[in-house]
Amino acid sequence: MTVSRRDLLKAGMSVAALAALPRPLVARLGPVPEPVQSIRAPRGRELAFRAVEAARAAGAAYADVRLTRTRRRIFQKADEPRALQNVGDSEELSVGVRVLVDGYWGFASSPVWSSDVMVRLGRGAVAQARVMAFGPAREVDLASVPAVRDEHWTMPVEIDPFEVSPAEIVDYLRSLTYFVARYPEFKVVRNECEFWVQDKAFASSEGSYCTQRLYRAEGKFELTLRENGRPVAGGALDVLTPAGVGWELYKGQPMREHIRRLMEEIKEDHALPIKPVDVGRYQVVCDARTVAHLVDATLGTATQLDRVMGYEANASGTSYLSDPVGMLGSYEVGAQVLSVRANRTERGGAGTVRWDDEGVETGHFALVEAGILRDFQTTRESATWLADRYVEAGRPARSHGCAAAPSALEAPLTHTPNLVVAPGPESVDFDGLVAGLEDGLAVKNMVPDMDFQGLNGLGGAGRAYEVKGGKRVARVAGAGFLFRAPELWKRLVALGGEASVRRYGMRASKGEPAQTTYHSVTAPAAAFEEFTVIDRMRKA
Amino acid sequence: MREARILTSEDCRAVLERAHSFARGGGDTRVGILSWWQGELRWARNRMSLASDRRSIRITVARTVPGGNPGGPVVTNQLDDASLEAAVRAAERRSELGSKPGRGLGFFPQFPLYEPFQKAAIWSDATYDLGLEERGEIARSMIAPAEAKGFLSAGYLEVRAGALAALGTEFPELRTGEYALGDQPYVRWTQAQCSTTVRDPTGLGSGWAGLSSYDWARIDAGALAERAVQKCQASRDPVAIEPGRYTVILEPQAVADLIGSLVREFYPRETPEGGSPSPWRLAYDAVLGLWRSKLGMKVVDERITISHDPADPALGIVMHPLERPRPVAWIERGVLTNLGHRFDTDVKRLEGANRLRGATGYRMSGGDTSIEEMIRTTRRGLLVTRFSNIRVLDRESLLSTGLTRDGLWLIENGEITKAVKNFRFTESPLLVLNNIEQLGEPVPVFRPTKDEGGQLTPAIVPPLKARDFSFTSLIDAV
Repeated sequence: MTVSRRDLLKAGMSVAALAALPRPLVARLGPVPEPVQSIRAPRGRELAFRAVEAARAAGAAYADVRLTRTRRRIFQKADEPRALQNVGDSEELSVGVRVLVDGYWGFASSPVWSSDVMVRLGRGAVAQARVMAFGPAREVDLASVPAVRDEHWTMPVEIDPFEVSPAEIVDYLRSLTYFVARYPEFKVVRNECEFWVQDKAFASSEGSYCTQRLYRAEGKFELTLRENGRPVAGGALDVLTPAGVGWELYKGQPMREHIRRLMEEIKEDHALPIKPVDVGRYQVVCDARTVAHLVDATLGTATQLDRVMGYEANASGTSYLSDPVGMLGSYEVGAQVLSVRANRTERGGAGTVRWDDEGVETGHFALVEAGILRDFQTTRESATWLADRYVEAGRPARSHGCAAAPSALEAPLTHTPNLVVAPGPESVDFDGLVAGLEDGLAVKNMVPDMDFQGLNGLGGAGRAYEVKGGKRVARVAGAGFLFRAPELWKRLVALGGEASVRRYGMRASKGEPAQTTYHSVTAPAAAFEEFTVIDRMRKA
Repeated sequence: MREARILTSEDCRAVLERAHSFARGGGDTRVGILSWWQGELRWARNRMSLASDRRSIRITVARTVPGGNPGGPVVTNQLDDASLEAAVRAAERRSELGSKPGRGLGFFPQFPLYEPFQKAAIWSDATYDLGLEERGEIARSMIAPAEAKGFLSAGYLEVRAGALAALGTEFPELRTGEYALGDQPYVRWTQAQCSTTVRDPTGLGSGWAGLSSYDWARIDAGALAERAVQKCQASRDPVAIEPGRYTVILEPQAVADLIGSLVREFYPRETPEGGSPSPWRLAYDAVLGLWRSKLGMKVVDERITISHDPADPALGIVMHPLERPRPVAWIERGVLTNLGHRFDTDVKRLEGANRLRGATGYRMSGGDTSIEEMIRTTRRGLLVTRFSNIRVLDRESLLSTGLTRDGLWLIENGEITKAVKNFRFTESPLLVLNNIEQLGEPVPVFRPTKDEGGQLTPAIVPPLKARDFSFTSLIDAV
């Protein structure tokens, strides 16, 4: 067999990739430190159950343990392509033990994977919970969940970014900047990406044990259009938002095509005249990204059941869907055309996992069906708060698998899963909706600033256009879109079809201490009527 | 015996030296170690919802070679030899990639002599020793008054400690006094924070109170609980009034929330002489080819001084050897007197060659008018508890939008007459600080750092009365 240059390059690459990893990490599983092997190795299981047993022996009614090993690799550019480089590598081990004693939760976490520490954390978490348990008992029922027996899941990605040489990634990113250099009127102002992989093991006192490997990739690519050396307009690629994928985030897309289209779009935009905003009520066509942001900021936030019940009151706030028992199955969230489903299973979703942080196998569920509120985002504890309503509806009170945390260092909370807004029946996209608009506004990439109940919002920051006779005729400067969530969704008149659907990765923060997780929102373009438009920069 | 929850100076030194022993091939290797612990307690609906104890470590290794590219650090949270060596090797490989001329050692000017500052008030045994049982007891005592009135209490109590040390490779030419470039003498700090939101079960009233400090002994949890209950009670069933311009009385917390963006701008991402928008940028000087800044000009009311002193026992700022080592006045009697800067770019232009990282902690001067007196002298105005969800719309003017939250009242003819529904505002902190009518006594406010292992960002801020505050729309969220 002959060895080709290609084979050599490949071999060279993987050697470089291996060499770049700060391995091996060491855990103290037995009497002497030993390298941490795959998360699936039996020693991980032993370690996890050691903590579960310690917690049970100390009096926990329920205990679960997570072990995580998280790696991140960051690439950023400075102001010229040669400066672009691999600027950060991190690899961290964590273990977190959560217990339930007399209805009170205790949690303890540490970066050390050793038998002794497992015992300390198991007992420590129980001590935490015990102290809370004086005074009136708190009732906690955990929705039942079938035990998972030693299963493993690897998120399917095409190219594991940690198996690719950082030098190759740097070269590729630089090539994008060089590509733009062919167009002297444009300049790349941002070109960076980040990869994340987490190996996670979960064990519970109910006998569950599962391990999984999760990936996430995201990138940022921004251009400015220059005249006489000064920036006059700009824009960013919207195809690199966080997703549950690997290096194919770049390699699996026609990146140069995307960049070319972005440059055209920036030029087209720049050619349009600028008008000041004319305050009033308008028919407004929103692109998929705007709709995704709107759904996420209103319904995505307001249907977190812990928020609804006041568990986030002292942090990010509560919810305008304030009476879950009364509203479930009857409350009109919006127009009939609005249906929103949630899942943590879709391929490539930024919030996708096989099991959530309570070992619940994830699935999908309807949040809003034909405008009616159908369900809330739940965990094993919060699902039982709606048990009566579920029983009435002939459904089991089971968790929707929304428990999540960035790593084992943090206790899990309810975090938004992937959301999917159903498209309209007609095959019309953003431009199609704009073409059907006689007189109104069109908006791209609007980001809403919400209040602390997901109720009142002010959208801005994107690009707004005046539309006359189905054509974008001017850019509107400083437009602010003022709305209340219930009216907003009732004034939804049409949704774009399948062709207008896009998926965007979102980042969300909640809790005390604050923790940040990721999810995807998939949405079509949409048309709203009676949208209040104000001058965002004008004072009273 | 007190259990060690963060690493000691000796522990850190040993890890740093061990890491350095793996370094080879020249260059400057900087190894940093951060260890932190947090004891946390969260409650909601009058019951504890989670008590936790969390610790972690973060070791960063970065190496610079002449002509090479320093890049970012390699990070691990494991202390064993194999992990440390692997991190050092990875940093070495990284530093040799993509070299960029003009950077590297020798690029920095001579450093000023640095005298380590020993007296910063940043550590409190009262914080570190506040045990689990005591924390539980405090939370219970904070819930009780709310529950007794039929309200729902939610809150968060956290005590934490952090320790940081870093060791660089020794280069005689880069030594300034006791420390070399990249060295960080062992420093440890504590932080305590306590906040509570009390809501009416109907969802039509909400009150908040909170305080943070390096020292738990400076936080009166009982007073916070009482204030939140009072505010909840007084804020019930708010009525809607028209948006518009109002005279406002901002409680200290509201002032701190509002001027956060202004304080952040003391450390511009680029200097005002560069091209990036900043409230401190004056005009472009075509002759010199640079932007002029507003240094030396009056930017706010002359009663305002914003400054910090690392020795201020009421404040507590974690010191860095080469950054903000001295007392600094950012704004003195209304005049912009200092800006954060990097010594590798601006050292020649600014007085005092120390690198200034901008204000992480600050004290704002006040006056002697009590809030009651401010109310008494107001014909028509609004009393604001705090602001939430603030976004800067324009970095040049600092025009911002945000919401009032957890207590807003209408004042008519010198008296609070009713609770009113929340507003969205569109206003600039710079204008507010130019429209001041009265100032009260500065007090510490709630400004905890949110990052795990993050350093203190304390502030001491007065209440103030200002005219013509712009409220642009009604918010019916409570």
